[in-house]
Amino acid sequence: MSDWEPKIVSFLCNWCSYGAADLAGVGRMEYPANIRVIRIPCSGRMSPKFILAALREGADGVWVSG
Amino acid sequence: MLQYQDKIQAIAARLLKECKVDLVIGFRRGTVPMMNEPYVARTAEQTTNLIWDSHCGINLTNYLTDRKEKIGIVAKGCDSRNIVTHILENKIERDQLYIIGVPCQGMVDKRKIAQAVNGAVDQVIENGNEITIKGPAGDKTVTKADVLQNNCSLCKHRNPTIHDEMVAEPVAEQTDIDAYESVRAIEAMDIDAKRAYFEKLLEPCIRCYACRNACPLCYCPTCFVDEHRPQWVGKSTDPVDNMTFHFLRAYHCAGRCTDCGACERACPVGIKVRIFTKKLEKDCLELFGWEAGLSLDTRPPLDVYRPEDPDDFIK
Amino acid sequence: MGIEPGRLQFSWISSAESTKFVDVVNQVTDAIKALGPNRYLVKNQAKVA
Repeated sequence: MSDWEPKIVSFLCNWCSYGAADLAGVGRMEYPANIRVIRIPCSGRMSPKFILAALREGADGVWVSG
Repeated sequence: MLQYQDKIQAIAARLLKECKVDLVIGFRRGTVPMMNEPYVARTAEQTTNLIWDSHCGINLTNYLTDRKEKIGIVAKGCDSRNIVTHILENKIERDQLYIIGVPCQGMVDKRKIAQAVNGAVDQVIENGNEITIKGPAGDKTVTKADVLQNNCSLCKHRNPTIHDEMVAEPVAEQTDIDAYESVRAIEAMDIDAKRAYFEKLLEPCIRCYACRNACPLCYCPTCFVDEHRPQWVGKSTDPVDNMTFHFLRAYHCAGRCTDCGACERACPVGIKVRIFTKKLEKDCLELFGWEAGLSLDTRPPLDVYRPEDPDDFIK
Repeated sequence: MGIEPGRLQFSWISSAESTKFVDVVNQVTDAIKALGPNRYLVKNQAKVA
C-alpha cells in the first residue's frame, strides 16, 4: 500500500475554514490534495450522521472545521 | 405496592371527576404475567383498571408527545425525568400535566424471572421484597433485588423529580452504587477489542426498532433510519448498518437519556442497548456535570454554550 | 466505539488564517496517513445509478 493516499472528507464552515481555504487558494499556497471539501453553511449544520455516512462510504478520515 | 395502587386509583378518579384532566395515563394488567400495558382512563369508573406493581417498566412519557389535552400521568422517577425533558423540548406544556408521582423501588426484569424458573411463568406474586414465581416447573421465591432490571439496580433517582401529588412518602435513594462500571470496562479496551465487542453485541439485532419505539426520546416524525435520499443507514441487518443505527440513535439521546431501560426492556433479542446511552450519560456527567431531567430551570448542555465547556479536542 | 480517535478531527480556523488552514490540512493528512486505510463501518454496497 505504498501508493495509498487517504481520502479525508472535510466539512468546512462557509464563514471560517472555507474562507481560509479560499484565501489559501488566492495566496497560491500548497496543501495535500487528500481532502474532499464539503461546504456547510455553519458548523452548526454538522451532524453525527454526516460523519458516519462519510465513513460508511469509505472515507479514511473525517475533518470538521469551524 | 397495593397501597400505591389504591392511591393511584383514588387520585385518578378524583381528577377525572373534578374534570381537572381529560385522561389519566397509567398501567393496567396485561394478558400475560409481567406484561403490564399502558392504559388511558377517561372516566372515573375506568380508573379501577389502573394498577401498580413491579412490572410497570414501560416509560409512559412516550404517550405525551404533542398531546393537546389536559393529562394526568402516573410517573416513576425515570418517567418524571423524561417528562422534564419533554417539557424542555416543547413536546408538552407543564400546565397540561398533572403528575402523579410514584416513588419507585425498581422494576423487575422479566428475563431474570423467567430464568429463575427455567422458562414459562404462570404467575408472579409480590410480597414486599420477596417475589414468588409460579410456573409449570414449580414455585420459587426470590428476592426482588436479585431480579431487578439492571438500570433499576443502578438508579439514583427513584423519586419523581417533578410531581403534583405523590402517592406515598419518597423512598430512600440508592447511594454508593457504581453506575458506570460496565462503561469503564469497555473504555479500557483497545480499538480491536472494542470493535469485536460491538460487533458481537449487535450481532443478534434484527432491526425491529422496538428500542426506538419504546424510547420516549425518539419522537422524530421521520427517524433517520426511515429517511432515504440520502439514505443514512441501510435496511438490512448487515453489521455495519446495525452499528450505524445503534451508534446514531445513542448520539441522539446524548444529554437526554434518563436510563429508564425502556429500550432494553423492549428488545426482543435481549441486546444490552443501554451500554451506548450509559456511556453518553457518563460523558455528560463528567464533561458538563449534567444529569437529564432533574430541573425545569436549566437548559441541557447541548442546547447552550458556556465558556467553560470543554474544547480540548479542537485544534 | 471502535473508531480510532484520530480518524475524526476538529479544528477552528478563522477565514483570515490561510496559513493555519494549510498547517491543519497537513496535520490531518499526516495523522490519517499514519492510521492507514479505514475498514471499519464501511458499507460495501452495489452502487445504484
